[in-house]
Amino acid sequence: MKIIEINQLTKYYGKHRGIEGVSFSVEEGEIFGFIGPNGAGKSTTIRTLLSLIYPTSGSATIFGKDCIQFGDEIRKDIGYLPSEVFYYENMKVIDVLKYSASFYENVDMSRIEKLSKAMDLDLNKKIEDLSYGNKKKVGIVQGLLHEPKLIILDEPTSGLDPLMQQKFFDLILEENKKGATILFSSHILSEVQKLCTRVAIIKEGKIVKVENINEMRNNTYKRIIIESASEGISAKFNFEGITNLTSTEDGIQFLYKGNINEIIKVLYTLELKNIIIEEPTLEEIFMHYYLKEA
Amino acid sequence: MNIVLRELRAHMKSLIIWSIAQIFIILAGMMKYVGFSSSGVDLKTMLEGYPEGMMKAFGMNRVDLTTVEGFYTVFFLYFMLLAAIHAVMLGAVIISKEERDHSADFIYSRPVKRSKVVFSKMTVGVINIIVFNIVTLVTSVVMIAQNNDGNGLLPEVSLLMLALFFIQLFFLTLGVLLGAVMKTTKAATSTATGIVLGTFFLSIASDLSDKVEFLKYITPFKAYQASDVVLDHTMNVVSTIILVGLSIVFAYVANQRFYKRDLSV
Repeated sequence: MKIIEINQLTKYYGKHRGIEGVSFSVEEGEIFGFIGPNGAGKSTTIRTLLSLIYPTSGSATIFGKDCIQFGDEIRKDIGYLPSEVFYYENMKVIDVLKYSASFYENVDMSRIEKLSKAMDLDLNKKIEDLSYGNKKKVGIVQGLLHEPKLIILDEPTSGLDPLMQQKFFDLILEENKKGATILFSSHILSEVQKLCTRVAIIKEGKIVKVENINEMRNNTYKRIIIESASEGISAKFNFEGITNLTSTEDGIQFLYKGNINEIIKVLYTLELKNIIIEEPTLEEIFMHYYLKEA
Repeated sequence: MNIVLRELRAHMKSLIIWSIAQIFIILAGMMKYVGFSSSGVDLKTMLEGYPEGMMKAFGMNRVDLTTVEGFYTVFFLYFMLLAAIHAVMLGAVIISKEERDHSADFIYSRPVKRSKVVFSKMTVGVINIIVFNIVTLVTSVVMIAQNNDGNGLLPEVSLLMLALFFIQLFFLTLGVLLGAVMKTTKAATSTATGIVLGTFFLSIASDLSDKVEFLKYITPFKAYQASDVVLDHTMNVVSTIILVGLSIVFAYVANQRFYKRDLSV
């Protein structure tokens, strides 16, 4: 069953582009990555799903229901962590969480304690006295508190130290195991890489690609680094499938997608000092998508 | 209900401050009366020297300033002004502050309809202006009683406070409308105070010259004449219908417009 289905969603802020013709869907139980640089339209898409803003055209359904018409009903089962967290400044953490819980039915209040402990969050502090990272933790606890079926995270890890990020990922995975579907937006690829099964890449308001993360990394691209004393080697690698070719001090490196034998044929003609063939990081693939589209 | 309780608590402090301000203004006004009446100056002769327009502007043409009720109705203009500013600011802030404080994404991603949030906030606004109104009533009656042989003129002042409530309601819903329509809290509050002061000066201008007397029909500060209410025990029905009608329209439009609003982060 499709938990989220977005159909040609377009949002303009006056004349400014927000998103254009965004379409993708998220299956039940999936951890779906939503990735792109700042200003690409991630938050715009997410905030449209929550009907915080209204689309110029196109539509979206969550749990099979139109996200505007049935907005309040749908939101019962959504946990949302906004990218900008600034709750009521003069409230205590515990009061914000209780206030949040008061909007839902049958909330297991012991989860406040449990989640805060996991995230190492002091419940008795005032929001205004919290650091950015600790405010983010309040956001995380508030988002997971009512055991939502769909968790929408907009840049959740900014401000969290690596240890906390790991704890947070553990929490997310735990919720996912219990059956929650997760939409995870980020501009940091390594965290998406760690968690997600599929990913949608957004650039300048348009979806560039929706891909399975393993396929994206394993089956498509190799990073090849060649160290060689031979002259003019970059010219020899001027054929289809090679991208991001750069010359280094000792040789060249590039990304390759295609028949590996073609590369071996050329390599055979070279005097090599060293060769490394490895999986590219997502960053590199990502940059590749970006360059290709530019 | 949870939103109502939360908002009541959030606005408690400001309500207390506004109430104290109102108490001080009433106190100061009545102290002036004490000074006036005990100075032994022949007020009537003194006032006869003033131009008629000015007398009218301060509502002194009809009432006898040497009596406590006369004095009170003249000063009521300023109690009304403060109540209006309180109401319009409250309305503008209560609806727009979530975006100002970046908590809009929090509150409006809960499983409630926007209209329910708006309605809850308006309810809190009405409770606040009622409390402010009661504070004004109690302070007034106590202060009048002290200068009137223990007679606080409760029935007269109560009727006046009912009139005041309709003016408060008008400005509250006007504030809510501005908060719902305008981009920022700041824009909403400055427009709101601008309108209050603007209409306040219109009401004074309408007294100053007969040529612009028609202005009294477009300012809520002229909806009721305090002297009529206190002296004749009558409340202008047409004004009441217009004020309540406009309040309903403002509230309705505010809700409609807010529903369609793109919330800023």
